[in-house]
Order: sequence, then structure tokens, then C-alpha cells
Amino acid sequence: MTWLDAVPALPGGHGAAHRDALLLAALDSCAAADLVFTRVDRTGPVAVTAVSAHVTAPFDPVAVSAALGGPVTVTDSPALDRCVRFPGQSALTGTHPAAEVVASSAIDRVVGVGVPVSPADRVETLGFLRPVHRDGELVLLVEPAVGGVLRPIESEDPHECCGGAH
Amino acid sequence: MSHDHHGHTHEHHHEDVDGSWRDTADDRPLSVARRRFLAGLGAAGVATTVGALPAHAHDDRPPRPVNPWHGRSRWYAGDHHIHTKYSSDGQYEVAQQVAKAREHGLDWVVITDHGGVAHEKLSIDQVAPDIERARREHRDVLVYQGLEWNIPGAEHATVFLPPGRSTVDILRAFEAAYDGGVLSTPVAQGGAGLLSRSTSADGEPYALAALRYLEAQVLSGRAEIALMFANHPARRGVDSPHEIRGWRDAAPGVAVGMEGAPGHQAAGIRKEAGGRGGARGYYDGSPNQDSFPGYAPTATENPYRTYGGFDWMTAKVGGLWDSLLAEGRPWWVTATSDAHQVHLDTHAPGSGDHNATGSRGKPVDTGKPQVYGDYWPGFYSSTLVGSDSRSYVDVMRGMQGGRVVAVHGRVVDGLNLRVRSLGEGDDRGVTIGGRTFVRRGDSVEVSIEVDLARGANFGGSVPRLAKVDLIAGPVTGPAADRDALAAPLTKVVKTFEVARTARGTVRFTHTFRNVDTAFYLRLRGSDGNRLTSDGGPVMDVIGDADPWSDLWFYANPVFVDVV
Repeated sequence: MTWLDAVPALPGGHGAAHRDALLLAALDSCAAADLVFTRVDRTGPVAVTAVSAHVTAPFDPVAVSAALGGPVTVTDSPALDRCVRFPGQSALTGTHPAAEVVASSAIDRVVGVGVPVSPADRVETLGFLRPVHRDGELVLLVEPAVGGVLRPIESEDPHECCGGAH
Repeated sequence: MSHDHHGHTHEHHHEDVDGSWRDTADDRPLSVARRRFLAGLGAAGVATTVGALPAHAHDDRPPRPVNPWHGRSRWYAGDHHIHTKYSSDGQYEVAQQVAKAREHGLDWVVITDHGGVAHEKLSIDQVAPDIERARREHRDVLVYQGLEWNIPGAEHATVFLPPGRSTVDILRAFEAAYDGGVLSTPVAQGGAGLLSRSTSADGEPYALAALRYLEAQVLSGRAEIALMFANHPARRGVDSPHEIRGWRDAAPGVAVGMEGAPGHQAAGIRKEAGGRGGARGYYDGSPNQDSFPGYAPTATENPYRTYGGFDWMTAKVGGLWDSLLAEGRPWWVTATSDAHQVHLDTHAPGSGDHNATGSRGKPVDTGKPQVYGDYWPGFYSSTLVGSDSRSYVDVMRGMQGGRVVAVHGRVVDGLNLRVRSLGEGDDRGVTIGGRTFVRRGDSVEVSIEVDLARGANFGGSVPRLAKVDLIAGPVTGPAADRDALAAPLTKVVKTFEVARTARGTVRFTHTFRNVDTAFYLRLRGSDGNRLTSDGGPVMDVIGDADPWSDLWFYANPVFVDVV
């Protein structure tokens, strides 16, 4: 179908995963999106998180704008960076061989930080996958973790000092 | 100071000022007051002390060595990052932390509770008397009052001052005006409501103003010295290279360095081994909207992780730290505990409402060891400071001057570095944090004496230093790109193996011959247990990072000018 682009104004402050959840809930209330990316827009004095979503059915831009709390545009050239929803995501919630991650989802490659990844290497998703778009591919960066598995480098709830207050 | 003048001995009327300036061991209030007279004139002195100006910049004067070598240094071990029950995520009494620091061999500590609205309004007045009491009870430990400042636009930082009549007033005013938490909290909740977030870029000018404010307190004589160290700098990627350069340049006598190694070193111990199973240093983050985009995880590195327990900015040879040093300007690294809750200690937080009272109240002793991520001050991490005396101001001058070695798990007991010209330059030479000079084409001799651990560390074993790396790179002047984060010419130039049988003090030398460009050098050492193929530290594995089997030290650099 088409891509919509928006700068949502959603309450934040509790980490990226929390913002993702709010964003997806708001989107799902008024549009059908199968691929959703966030990116950081640093053009203003304060960085903001913007979203590009691939929508698969007609939608009402006014309703989407109201749900996201920001202006919405339709575009043919979306800005793709961090992927918060992609086909196959919901099936990858456990520990899966790298080959299965690629075969069963929109992820094109599993890339290890400082280590090679072979197809049989196990990827412990912990139910949270945020691949990134690099050079036309959707890439999942992983790193060695306890138990001889690989884990995505972005975790759902990183340690927050001071309760995440600052 | 008394001296012979025109054939007769007399006392200059200004000699008290002169004398007390030199006798910084004398921290009595009176001498502090006397020194204020000179403090306002101290701009040039400060610059020289911290090496802020390259020696060759003094075109009309002969170069002056900084941190001249004078035999064996006395090291004072300490920790500039310690929390108490006055942090919303801390729990201990000041007295507990100071007693534990002393038990683990520390000579100095800085109490650094988190800045914020509740801390500024409620905690400062409670922590100050607790600190004074701890000083009286432990006269052999220097207890500094500090703050873990939320740097506007960036990470946290230690800010601290020596005891003085205005110390608490300065800290309070500083926090109220410049803490990122205070600035970003809405007015309705007691804050200033001026910033979008504590880490958002609209805070950056406030950070520079804050550091200039501290430097002004020193230049006006209201404080003897004030220092700032950036804490866990790469943890969330929000300390961009241009911010770090900005802090350093805004207040070179105050903003002098960063944690080379963060605290929370127990956080990566495996769950099966009774640990928390988290990331070493709690470095488990990834880029967020306030992160510097140049700090990008790739197939070759992840800036958001520790490497051998050290922050990526410090651990990467030719990385961010080296890019700062290659400018020829000082920037020092340390190691701290960041002790909030200590692994296997039996205490849990009290029931106080920090937001309402500024304190979590007296900690509760559960009687059962708790699984936490931190070590007591001095238990694992030490910042060794070379100082002329055990005085509040001298130890801070040691830190300001970069006479600092960051050590984990007692992998070394001390380090004596001498860098000198073998020709007609500075043939006495300088030590860690110093600046020396050599005539173009002459040789520079590096003499290294490492005091190996003479006993067990608090992990229960005698650590064995396996190697010392000598790292060096050219000084190429101020970076045109303020966000530069690489020094590609900085390399490990020599690795010294330490014999398995070595005991006591081991000695190494290296000579740089035919030196024709300014350069700097620094040392690091390892127990050799976890090394990459090129001898560097390995990225720590989340959930599986035994800190006791991966020990490193990092010494601060020496700059060599060519004249």
C-alpha cells in the first residue's frame, strides 16, 4: 500500500520499549501496519523519535494524526532505521537458530558483534526483537550471552539508574 | 617562608600567603582564607598545573615540565562515586560507606548522591552533618562532600569540593541552578521546567555554564579547588565527543576526566554463581533518542558494553579517550564503585519516602545476603592518586594533575613511571599525568616500575599481572571536528611480559629514538586472562562476567613536547 510518516507526541520517559508499545497501540487503533520503523530526528534543538509505518489498508490521516498526537504525511520514500514491527516477529519469541530467524521473518541477516554467526547458532530473543535497516537489509545485531547463546543487542528493559528518572 | 634578602633575614609581609600556597597540606580554615588572596590570580597557575596549555605554546618562555618525577610517589587510594540512603536508589548510611571504604583500604572517598529536586531541597542538609560526623569518626579517611550531577544534556558526573566554609552553599546553588534533573522537572513538581529531558540536547549550554560557575568559585577564592569527572560515560551514549570537549574547554581546572571504569562491577556475575546475571557495570543499553549517533553498535564493536570492565571510551586503543589525548590536552580516567547496594551484603533499603523526605531512611538488615550488582568502596575498584600529602586539597590537586591510576582487583599495588629526555631536554623527566619536553631528534626514555600485588585482593586471591602495554600516539593538536572519536595513529607500541615468578617490583624500559613530533604515551596492564587476539580487553558478556578473572589497570598519560 503506502507509507505514513509521523512525529508522534506520546508520553515517554520509561525507555524505548515502553514508547514502542504506546506507539504501536496508537497506530493499531486507527491503521493496519505490518512494518513499523522508528528513527531519531535530530534536526531540531531537541531530538524527537519519528515513525514510518507501512500500512496495508486505507486509513484516515486525521484519525492517525489524532491518535499519534502529531502531523502525519504519506510518503513513497520512508526513512527506515529501527524496526519495531515486521512480518514474522510474533513467532520469534523464544530461542531459535539464526537460520530460522532469517527464514521465518523479514530479518535478512543476523550479525554478531565481534563474533561470526553460523546458521545453527541459537538466538535467544527474550521476546523482543528490534532489527535495524542497514544498506537495504533488515539486520539483527546480536552478541554472545550467558549460556552459549546469542542475544539481540537491544534489550527490552535495560538497567535504569535512579529508577530511570534522569 | 623566610629567606635571606639583601644580606639580612626578614619576613616578607606576604610570606604567609606564599607559604600557605605551597603548604597545601595545611587545610586549616585560616590558611584557606589566606590562600584566597592568591586564588584570584591563579588562572595561569591552574593552566600550568593541569597542563591545559602545551609547553610549546609558551613561545617566550622555556618549557616547564608538569608533574616532575621525584622518585617514589605515595599513592592514595580512593573512590569518587558512592551513594547513600540520600539517593532514591541507594540505601546505606554515610557512616557505613566510610567504614567499609576504610576497611577496604581507601584513603579518600566522595559521597555522591544523585542530584534532583528532592535531593536539592531535602537531602543536602541531611547529608552534610552526616559527612562531618563521618570525618570525625574516621580521621584517617578523607570524606569529600560531592554530588552525582545530572549533566544537562548528558550522563551523570561526580562534582566535589574540599571541606570549606562555602562548600555546602556552592553545591546547593550548583544543583539548584544546573542539575539536569532539576532543570527538566516541571515547575509544578518543584523543578525548573526548562529542559525537555535531563539528557536532551537543549541542556548542553547549561552544562557549560555549570562548569564555568564552579571554576568561578575557585578563581574568586570561594573554593580552593573543584573537580568534575564524567561518570559511566558510554553507558547510554549520551556523552557526545563535542560535549566532553566542551566541558573540558569550558573549565579546564574543573572538568578533568571520566570514569575509565564504571562501578557496578559485580552486576555481570552469573546467576548460577550467585550473581545478578546482568551486564558488568549495568552496561546493557542501546542507542536512544539522546544518544550520539556516532556511538553505533556494529559487527566489530558495541560502545554500550564494557570491555574488561572498562568503559569503551577508555578501553579502545585509538578510541575516544585517545582522540582527546591526541589533541595534547589532559583528560584523565578513574575507577569507582558506584556503590548503591552491595552484592551479598544483608541490607535492604529503609522505608523512607525519598521524594517526600530526601532520605530512604535507616537501611534494614535482613540478615540474608542480597543479590546486588555493586561492591563496597575499595573492594574491587581503586583510583590511586599521587599526592604530596594526605590532605583534602592535595589529593584533589593530584587528581586535577592526572597523577592517577585506575585499578581493578588489586592487579597492581602501585606504579612509578618516569619519562625523560636522554638529550638536552628535560632530563629529570616527569611522571603520570605530566608533560615533558625533548629536543628534536633526541631520545625519550620511559622507565616503568610496577609494584605487584603483595597480598590477596578481596576476591581472595593474589592477582598476577601478566603484561603491561605501552601505548603511544602523536599529538596532532586541537581536533577540527569536535565530534572526533578516533586517534588512528595511537597504537600499542610495546608489550612487556611479566614473568610468572616475578614478585615485588618489576622494571621495564623503552626508548623512543629520534623523536621529531610531539606525542603522548600511556600504560595499561592485564592479568592476561581474557585478551583479544591483539592483546586488548574482550567485550564483557551479559550475564557471564566474573570480574575477578579479568583484571586491568589503566594509567594516565604523559605528554612529550618537541622543542
